Amino acid sequence: MYRSSSLRYESSHRDFSLRGESDEDYLDISLEDDRGWCKPSPGFEVSGSKRGFCHPFHEDRKKVLQERRDSTPNSVTFEWLRQAESASLYAGLKDHTISVSHSVRSWGREVVREKPFNVIHEFDSWRKSPDLAEAVAAIKALTAVIKRSEATTMMGLEVELKNASDTLKESDESSISLSAGCDLFMRYVTRTSAIEYEDIEAGKARLIERGEKFGEISQKARRTIAKLGKDFIADGITILTHGYSRVVLALLKLAASEGKDFNVICTEGRPDNTGAEMAKELVPAGIPVTLVLDSGVAYVMETVDMVLMGAEGVVESGGIISMLGTYQTALVAYSLKKPVYVAAESYKFARLFPLDQRDMSPAPRHVDFLVPLPQVVNVENSARDYTPPQYLTLIFSDLGVLTPSAVSDELIQLYL
Amino acid sequence: MKADKAVEDVGESAKVAGGVTFEWLRQAEDASLLTTPARPTATDHGDSSFSVIEEFNYWRMQPDLAEAVAAIKALTAVIRRSQASTMMGLEIELKNASEALKAWDETSIPLSAGCDLFLRYVTRTTALEYEDIRAGKARLIERGERFGEISQKARRTIAMLGQDFILNGSTILTHGFSRVVLNLLKLAASNGKHFNVICTEGRPDNTGAKVAIELLAAGIPVTLILDSGVGYMMEKVDMLLVGAEGVVESGGIINYIGTFQSALVARSMNKPVYVAAESYKFARLYPLEQRDLGPSPCHVEFVEPVPEDAKVENTARDYTPPNYLTLLFTDLGVLTPSAVSDELIQLYL
Repeated sequence: MYRSSSLRYESSHRDFSLRGESDEDYLDISLEDDRGWCKPSPGFEVSGSKRGFCHPFHEDRKKVLQERRDSTPNSVTFEWLRQAESASLYAGLKDHTISVSHSVRSWGREVVREKPFNVIHEFDSWRKSPDLAEAVAAIKALTAVIKRSEATTMMGLEVELKNASDTLKESDESSISLSAGCDLFMRYVTRTSAIEYEDIEAGKARLIERGEKFGEISQKARRTIAKLGKDFIADGITILTHGYSRVVLALLKLAASEGKDFNVICTEGRPDNTGAEMAKELVPAGIPVTLVLDSGVAYVMETVDMVLMGAEGVVESGGIISMLGTYQTALVAYSLKKPVYVAAESYKFARLFPLDQRDMSPAPRHVDFLVPLPQVVNVENSARDYTPPQYLTLIFSDLGVLTPSAVSDELIQLYL
Repeated sequence: MKADKAVEDVGESAKVAGGVTFEWLRQAEDASLLTTPARPTATDHGDSSFSVIEEFNYWRMQPDLAEAVAAIKALTAVIRRSQASTMMGLEIELKNASEALKAWDETSIPLSAGCDLFLRYVTRTTALEYEDIRAGKARLIERGERFGEISQKARRTIAMLGQDFILNGSTILTHGFSRVVLNLLKLAASNGKHFNVICTEGRPDNTGAKVAIELLAAGIPVTLILDSGVGYMMEKVDMLLVGAEGVVESGGIINYIGTFQSALVARSMNKPVYVAAESYKFARLYPLEQRDLGPSPCHVEFVEPVPEDAKVENTARDYTPPNYLTLLFTDLGVLTPSAVSDELIQLYL
């Protein structure tokens, strides 16, 4: 035991990315050898309970837990690997026009002349799927980059991915879920590549497989959130919602399908007409819907029992970034003592900490005011606002039902 | 003799009514010789209620005239056409006409406030003994016709009082379309103050565009925001300035839908909320919650078609409780919400 702990101490000083002479050290740490400070509970990875997590400074410990995490049913198994290997032989590449004439391919530098272009095309083509979230589309695009990569080392692959990720982020600077998705996948890649793979193909296959499974994870996340959230809906209540969120829709439809009687008030949601969109989905599910103007939120708030909204991003403070109008809805609800619930998947958790409304990157959109306006009038056309955590009651995520203050803990877990 | 007595009576009741001077009386005597504007009038009693509403509508079409003033002018016309031989008979006619007007548009608070105020004034006046009903009628007619001027004067008074609250470089948020507020802002701008105004879109009546056009003509920079953007912009705003349809006994206001929301957001962020309202908007109402207001539906046109089965909450106004308001600028002075009930007692006693 002393030997392994001293090795842990030593290797913590080692550069994370260097893999060299000490392969045996890693191989020595078996998955069953849990002599760390705390024993993760059996449902550790699945439920996301973080009590079993240990001091972050121990990088070896991280690797052990990474292995453990990957060996649980939700992650990679031998069957996965088998599928991954077959996937790596998959020749259904969309774009065969990759120029093989890369110039000097030195360590860590791959010429990516056509890649940025392809990444964005790939991303756009995935985004056209109606049910696919932006973060998931980003991850699928990055997976495609891996598939087409000609790198011979994991490091090279990482660099390619980083370039592709930066390109994607630049293409749409205002999208938080896009950058959150890219960051999450890059983090996963870095963690994975730290584990030694003798064969880069195996490593690539594993990443591809993970990326492809991510779409499923996203769907599963929505189902998890729906199951968690529906218990908060009681018979006879009135729910106010703002903006168009597929997670919220999934939650409401599930509750309705289980026979709960409630009615929903949707705000008009100018200028995107989110209210009409929500009504179109809710009415066929048999849920009574009332539409109210954006200015009418305070008017109806006394008849409302809870407010339920989605989010574009969940930030480090526990606040959310969501469609314009979310902040004032939450503020009105808080003043009139109504609970505010947010439904957001875990891949929306982003490494941001806005201090006021202007701290986010601007996300302008076109607003049609329906009447002719003089030229000289200014128009404030931000598409989103930031809701500080004190106005939120609970966040329903696939990691569980969290209070806003628990979000930063979860973020640490995800991003470490 | 009679004229002197009338003058004295006027002088005494002037203290009660708040504003009649000798100059007034002189103008009043001139006014009583004025002929009415060209309008097809019915001298038959049976048509009086019908013509009241027509008269009211006619006055309402004047662009700058407030609803309460239009109501009072309509009632003045009733007096003119009245064939009553006693003041009591005149009062009854007026009461019927007032009821007819209120019944015609049940949701309008300024209308009923205006009717009530004028009737109150009439009752006070008729308490004074008039030997000659014609003098009494002339007096009432004169008062009614002067009311339009009072209304304009009220707006000027409010503008003068309110402009001191606007500082150079400040940002003012406004909601809904109020002529009083526009007057205030234009006066401040013409006195050389530099400030900019943020207008909310004001669905469904597009009040924001209307306000923007007026303010830009006066050289005031305007920013338009969506109704959902009030919370987003509030940190940049120095004060919220709105008009009112009615001021209620608690000191709260009834105004265009969205006013309550804006005031709530402003108070949460410690921004002052100022209301500009003339005194004839003070109404004998005491809502306890939003639903206590009478229904006042407005037509909401959604850009995207809405499913048939979905209901629409289309009320046109909401009630802002007094704890969200800072000050009210009225022609009676700058009042705190708690002072409103005192003023109301004065007006209505």
